[in-house]
Amino acid sequence: MGWVTDHAPTGAELNACVRCGLCLPECPTFRLTGKESFSPRGRLMAMSAVADGVVEVDESFAGIMDSCLQCRACEVVCPSLVPFGRAMEGARAELAAQMPSRTRAARHLLVGRVLGSPGLLRMATLAVKVGQKVGVGRVLPSLLRRGFAGIRPITPVAVEPGSTYRAVGERIGRAGFLTGCVMDVWFSDVHAASIAMLQRAGYDVVVPATQTCCGALAAHDGDVKDTQRLAERNVVAFANVDVVAVDSAGCGAHLKDYEHWAGQAGELFSKRVFDITELIDQAIASGRIPKSSVDRGPVAVQDPCHLRHVQRIVDAPRNIVRAAGYSPVEIDPDGRCCGAAGMYSLLQPELSRQLGAAKADQVRQSHANVVASANPGCEMQLRSHLGKGYEIVHPVELLWRAVQEDDR
Amino acid sequence: MTLIGDLVEILGPDRVLSEPLERYLYGTDGGVARGEVIVVVLPETAGEVSDVVKAAKRHGSPIVPRGAGTGLAGGAAPAVPSVVVSLTNMKDIEIDLGNRTAWVGPGVINLDLSKLTRSSGFHFAPDPSSQSACTIGGNVANNSGGPHCLAEGTTTSHVLAVEIVTADGEIVLLGGPAPDPIGLDLRSVVVGSEGLLGIITRALVKLTPNPLAVRTILAGFATMEDAVATSSGIVARGVVPAALEIMDQKMTRAVENFVGAGFPIDAGAILLAEVAGHPAAVEAEARLVEQVANENHVTSLRVAADEVERAKLWLGRKSAFGAVAQLAPDYYLHDTVVPRTQLVATMQKIYEIAERHGVLMLNVFHAGDGNLHPLVAFDASVEGQLDIVHAAMEEVAKVCIEAGGALSGEHGIGLEKRDLMPLLYNEADLDAQARLREAFDPDGLFNPQKVLPAGSRCADLGRPIPTGAWL
Repeated sequence: MGWVTDHAPTGAELNACVRCGLCLPECPTFRLTGKESFSPRGRLMAMSAVADGVVEVDESFAGIMDSCLQCRACEVVCPSLVPFGRAMEGARAELAAQMPSRTRAARHLLVGRVLGSPGLLRMATLAVKVGQKVGVGRVLPSLLRRGFAGIRPITPVAVEPGSTYRAVGERIGRAGFLTGCVMDVWFSDVHAASIAMLQRAGYDVVVPATQTCCGALAAHDGDVKDTQRLAERNVVAFANVDVVAVDSAGCGAHLKDYEHWAGQAGELFSKRVFDITELIDQAIASGRIPKSSVDRGPVAVQDPCHLRHVQRIVDAPRNIVRAAGYSPVEIDPDGRCCGAAGMYSLLQPELSRQLGAAKADQVRQSHANVVASANPGCEMQLRSHLGKGYEIVHPVELLWRAVQEDDR
Repeated sequence: MTLIGDLVEILGPDRVLSEPLERYLYGTDGGVARGEVIVVVLPETAGEVSDVVKAAKRHGSPIVPRGAGTGLAGGAAPAVPSVVVSLTNMKDIEIDLGNRTAWVGPGVINLDLSKLTRSSGFHFAPDPSSQSACTIGGNVANNSGGPHCLAEGTTTSHVLAVEIVTADGEIVLLGGPAPDPIGLDLRSVVVGSEGLLGIITRALVKLTPNPLAVRTILAGFATMEDAVATSSGIVARGVVPAALEIMDQKMTRAVENFVGAGFPIDAGAILLAEVAGHPAAVEAEARLVEQVANENHVTSLRVAADEVERAKLWLGRKSAFGAVAQLAPDYYLHDTVVPRTQLVATMQKIYEIAERHGVLMLNVFHAGDGNLHPLVAFDASVEGQLDIVHAAMEEVAKVCIEAGGALSGEHGIGLEKRDLMPLLYNEADLDAQARLREAFDPDGLFNPQKVLPAGSRCADLGRPIPTGAWL
């Protein structure tokens, strides 16, 4: 039967791979298993096998696609410039279309509906909040218990939709702030710090009320319709801003990819999207945000894949940590995935656990007990694997704290 | 019991891959050949490899050992339906800095060993372009080279001992820590044997001290002739640099598109030269490189300012093959060697062959030791293309051998150059090689139909094969 959707991996995308194998050592799941079917080259070859009519989209194919973290570390080293992430999203779209099994349907409900609906998400949040109060973590099954341990204590929502926050000092532009789905309710401190720092960087910050979930998880899961719907809505919601500021690396990576989901309007939108660390780094470089002269000790820097491999941002979080008076400590020269990877930790618990444990070991070896991570998924994964004695924060939070302390 | 049943008993179900799609993924490597896989196994110890070999032998199944599958000559693509033994999970490393050696499993990735020993001041010298991905087991099996083998020698110069599982399933150690062990040097027979004599389960390799100083020079030239003349001129002045690499314009453009290292894309050819060693020597040799480049009309010259820039230039060079995909979905390359003095004439002939066959030819090569990698970018899905490419490449191989060269510098013969062997070796040579193979593997179960063309063993037919019978 081959492919059935418009989003299937294209011939050009698949032909771009010459099977040189340079991606293999960069792939976290290949490193763990040593199996071709857990490598980017193997996954592309499996896609080609479907395209060439050698195999059908079946359970065996689904298993090979499902093990991919979509960390896209393979893209960085690919001399053939294979758009692997796009091809994998295409393969996931095919799986969603051709194998609408029960588990898949349930996942689509979660990523396509719940995350895009503040009402449903608030209900989930309430459940988490109550759970945190009564200490439900101890009685949960081990898999959920680990996920639960990664969640920050929930604080009141800091950002009201429709609000505007004025620039501090000279105004350089108008930033639209993406509140996102999970970030909005579960990481409101990160939002508060990001908005405060954007104001100091010279931006009027607006929070469009009509915005919605970025759609990254839906895209990763092959949920084409919902991904398009969410993308189109955000393109309209952020029509009147100079820059779109995002404080979740995974969301930013996806917003920068809207050309695949919202056509030309999406492409124009993408050009205005910046990770918060890019904008704040620029403000530090131009002197609008001062560098702290206080020595605050070491901070381990964890690179979220969708910041480092997809958005190719490496220096900005380090510069921010430095400006906050900390000394950044490198934990992983290869920037390998921590295993959070959106819903991966729930769908592939064993691989995710091994990667999470390895990442936690790297942090422990750094002897820093503060970790800066610019992505909520990574943050939760790190917190649940590191346990007590470690603080995991967004780099911009560290800077905002330092600015407040230094102002005093 | 069935073969798969036996293998599952040895390794458990998770390390025996028998699903059709999974087997399909192991049917090919970095080259163009594809074969049929009966089952894939992933052993983790020499004992398990031995049990797997015994089981396969009981069932009369051929065995193809495999590392990372980055080879370009079809060495890991089964020529007949075979059990593929993937060694990627045998990656133990035992470092002995006192003796400057390391015992490594065959699945250890080449660059991982150098990364691991970097802080101690050592590295593993053979550095194939695929070194970030390829395994040391594969390097030993193919006697792999790399840009820095100009000064350091290929893999065989860096292997003291190999442990192999023989066709009987016996685990034997060939060579040893002492530089010249007693008896026949069977270690050097196994290095480069391309999986025909046994499965490598461990190797004792030398660690090389990192140079005190390194200078990497990127020179652009209007013509390939000038670049080659510079490379040969440097060696002729008595300097053997750490590396001397040349890329033609098409290759340089593809590479620059990926790496953005500032390669001069308007140059007809570029030379990447590296000198390494004592700072004073490096200084003098770098001056000489510049001087010879100037004598040969260099159009641009740049010295890598720091390690970051140097790494980027090498990343570009080492990504060359993959970068070809920007031009066409497939590529086919030969790995021939010609004497340095024949480089210019041979290159001209190669471009002429390409033109005559109407194929897109790119060249990137180890100029210092005359190791060419003429490469054709093409689309295998176009009917008849592969045949045209094969025909052109056979002519290329002939031209190189006529110039006094060899069939393979470092990639191996595998499947791709098997039938070209008679261009270089006569009947007696091939017969001797076939006898050697028989001594190790009388049933020919290890990587069958590779390297040696059909009819290599004259005695099989009871009479000499007429000249040209294999062509």
